[in-house]
Order: sequence, then C-alpha cells, then structure tokens
Amino acid sequence: MGKVDLNFMPKVPVFDANAALGRKHDRRVNVDSVEGTIAEMDRTGVSKALVYAPHGAAYDSTEGNQILIDTIADNKRLIPQFCANPTFDNINDFSKSLKTKNVKTIRIFPPLHNYPFTEWVVGEWLDWAESEGIAIWIPVNYETNWHPSIDIDPTQLHDTLKNRPNLNVVIAEIKYADFSWVMPLIRSLPNISVEISRWVIIDGIQRLLNAVGDQRILFGSRFPDSPMSPQIYNLHHNDLSDSTLKSICSKNTERLTGVKI
Amino acid sequence: MIETTPIIDFHAHGGGWTNRAFPDDPNTYIKQMDITGVDTTCVNCIWFGDANWANNLVFNRFVSKYPGRFIGVAFVTPHYPEECIYELDRAFNELNFKFLKLYPDYYGQSSDAEGYQPIYEWANDKGIPIMCHGRYGTDAPGTTQLKRYEKFTKDFPNIKWVIAHAGGGTDIDSVQTAKELPNIWLETCGSGIGLRAVKHAVDYGLADKILFGSDMPIMDYRNQISKVITADISNNDKKKILGLNAIKLLNL
Repeated sequence: MGKVDLNFMPKVPVFDANAALGRKHDRRVNVDSVEGTIAEMDRTGVSKALVYAPHGAAYDSTEGNQILIDTIADNKRLIPQFCANPTFDNINDFSKSLKTKNVKTIRIFPPLHNYPFTEWVVGEWLDWAESEGIAIWIPVNYETNWHPSIDIDPTQLHDTLKNRPNLNVVIAEIKYADFSWVMPLIRSLPNISVEISRWVIIDGIQRLLNAVGDQRILFGSRFPDSPMSPQIYNLHHNDLSDSTLKSICSKNTERLTGVKI
Repeated sequence: MIETTPIIDFHAHGGGWTNRAFPDDPNTYIKQMDITGVDTTCVNCIWFGDANWANNLVFNRFVSKYPGRFIGVAFVTPHYPEECIYELDRAFNELNFKFLKLYPDYYGQSSDAEGYQPIYEWANDKGIPIMCHGRYGTDAPGTTQLKRYEKFTKDFPNIKWVIAHAGGGTDIDSVQTAKELPNIWLETCGSGIGLRAVKHAVDYGLADKILFGSDMPIMDYRNQISKVITADISNNDKKKILGLNAIKLLNL
C-alpha cells in the first residue's frame, strides 16, 4: 500500500516566477482576478507571484502593462512583470514606465511578435537591460488563437546571448521535448536560468541540478493555465537540501526580481 | 498527514526512447515508485513494429523481474493484422497481461480504422479493457470523442475503454464522453494540466472513472501524481483516482 501525503503543503516559502493575471482575448480563463489568484496562492502555499498581462503578450505591451498595474492595485503579493516588444516599443518611454512602476523584470516573445532574436533586432534592448540590471524572461513559445505554437530558435538564443555575460535571462516554460537543446544551452551560457512550470521530463530536476547547480532554476507554475502546486510537490520529493529547495522555490526569483518574500 | 492507500499507475511505457532522453531503466521506475508511494505500474511497450518483441520486453524487463511491482499491458500493431490475434492470445494467456494499449497515432490511422475491427472483436469477446488516445491528427474535421465512442460502446459493449491523457478534465469532449457513455474511463497523464482539471472532472461526477497515470519514462512520476494529490478534491476521491478505480477496473 502506498504511503502518501494527501494534504501536501510546501515547507519553504514559494515565489511563483511564471504566472499571468488578467483576461485573454481568445477564451475565458479559469482565474483572471487578483482575488482568484490570491485564493489559489493561499490554497497551495505560494507567498508571492510574478505576474504579466496576457494582453501585453498578445496585442499591446503598453496597454497590457497598464491593465496589469491597474489590476494589481496595491496588492503586495503580486509582483508585476512588464511585457515588451523591442521592435515597436520606444525604449526610453518603456524604461521610464518601468522605473515609475518600480518593475524589475520584463518578458519578451520573439516568435509571437514575429522577430528573430538576433543582435540586429534586439541588441539595443539587451544593452539597456544589461546596464540597468533588468532580467529578461523569454518563454519558449506562446500560442494564441491567431498564432500557432512556434518555438524560439535555440541558435539565436545562444549566439545573441553568448557575448552578454552580465545579462540575466530566464528561459521560461521549457518542455520535456526541449531537453536536447536546453541542456547544452544552459551548460554553455552561465547567465541563463530556466523556469520549470512545464519541465516534467523524468528526473528533470536532478538533470538540471547536475548541469547547472541550484542557482539558475526557478519554480514557476504557468498559472492560471496550469495549477500552482504540482511542480512544488515534485520539488519537495526530489531529496533536495533545504538550501537547494529554498533557492529554487523562492531565492533565485527574489534575486532576479529584487523582491523579498 | 501521511495516509496509506493503494496507488496504481495506469500508464507507463517500457522500451528506451533515448534519442529523446527517455531511458527505461526499471531501477529508475522502482526508485520513483518508492518515493511517490506507487505500488504497481502498468507497463506497455508501443514503440516497436514487432508486437511480439515489445510484449516480451515488458514481461522480461519489468513484470517477471520485479514481481508485484509491474503489470503487463499488451500491444499489437494493425500493420501486421495476421499476427494480432495470436499475439493477443499469447499476451493475455501466457504472459498474464491485464489490458491492451493501442497507439493509433503511431500507426498513422485513427482508432476507427478498419484494421482495428478484429482486435476490438477479440477484446469484446474476452471483456478486455483497451486504452488509447481519444483524438488523432488524422481525424476528419468535426470528429468528436463522443461520436467516436458512441459507436465503440454500442458495437463493443464488453470493452472498458480508457481514454489516455484525458483525465486532465479541461477537455470538455472527453469529460462529456465519460459522463454520457457507459464503460469510459479517463486517464490523467500528460505534459501539461489545466487549472482545476481533475476537480472539473470530479465535479462532473466522474470520480469513479478517473485513473492516475504517469507516462513514464517520458514524464516524472512526481509531476504526474502531484496533479491528483494537490487537486482541490476530497481525499476519498484522491484515493479512488490514485488506485481504487484501477483495482476495480482490472479486477485486481
């Protein structure tokens, strides 16, 4: 007979590094409000969540980011992350809005926004982010009803980031099928971290730890498309030291966002 | 609080897929089963063109080497229809396998294709459960699982049909299929999971029709079992999904 904790809760503080907040245009999401998000965080033992606006991904970063700020209002457990489109947004205006709202991380979507992740497209933005200490989240892909799921080109990631050792980049939503390129990429570039909401490959956590140690792995959930707790449960059953568990569950995200739990 | 309950993984594979980084070392299965509390894993091998070879692999590498920890799941390929009935008889009568896994995506034909009819007839005669995916890339537009399984359950009423990767619960089609038709079960494994997916299926009254599966060695047991353990449902329903439903379905 199997022994199992059916009422599992995390034993360390948890900072979700990959959540969305707000409505989507192409379907009704299960949770689109602060109240619903906080309720799920309370149910699953998540202290803080880094959230971006789906509208900022799908249509307009400026409007999406404003919606996000309005939605969060004064809630201290939801940390805003701004969406950016380096091919359209004005870098000076964007930088100002980031400072005004005290936002420390951004999220970009090269395949969704239809540009290659190359020096001649994003170079100026990477220079700016590197100099300002802004960490950049890049999801492997992002699908909408009008845009099919197209993965980012790993060669572009590698070649564009290899000369920027001081820029912090988080590759988000890596999948089990990405194993073949993700592992060599993170081994070769020490400034890349990974967010693990979709990383369900067998022994996935140990494989990442063996490759890059515990400072470059970030717990994330992909909420509200996915629940918050399954990956937390997995992390708690990987025989990790308290220090490693804390790093992955919150400390690494604290470091990159500048926000303490 | 730690509780004791039978846990059966309904969906795992044998056979290496190492060019995708999925080795099938049984020691890894056992290790993860012990960590997660899984008592028994149902193993199929669907990645070979030769069903005889595949079923032998399951038996020799898993079932016979680790008594009580693995249940054999048979596989046949309709690309070689002349071998199917012999192999099914062998798998169930000699190897004592408990149900059949079909993988129509792999054959490039959906589960409605003509080549499966003799297999279904055989399974219907013996009352053998069959697990396969519910939808396929080759499906004609407008195909639904409800329509597909309406025909299956009518033509083959003795087969217990398990829709693989469907217990996610946000797949309205599979949930509706299991709700409206007799003899349909939903299995939970997959690389993703919708928010409140398992709860959604349970709220539809399907707590007795959901089966925990891992998809080992592609997915990690811990990620997959956590979908059930951390779902917002009662502990009694968790126990059913984790193993009690499988025990009933397979008469274990």
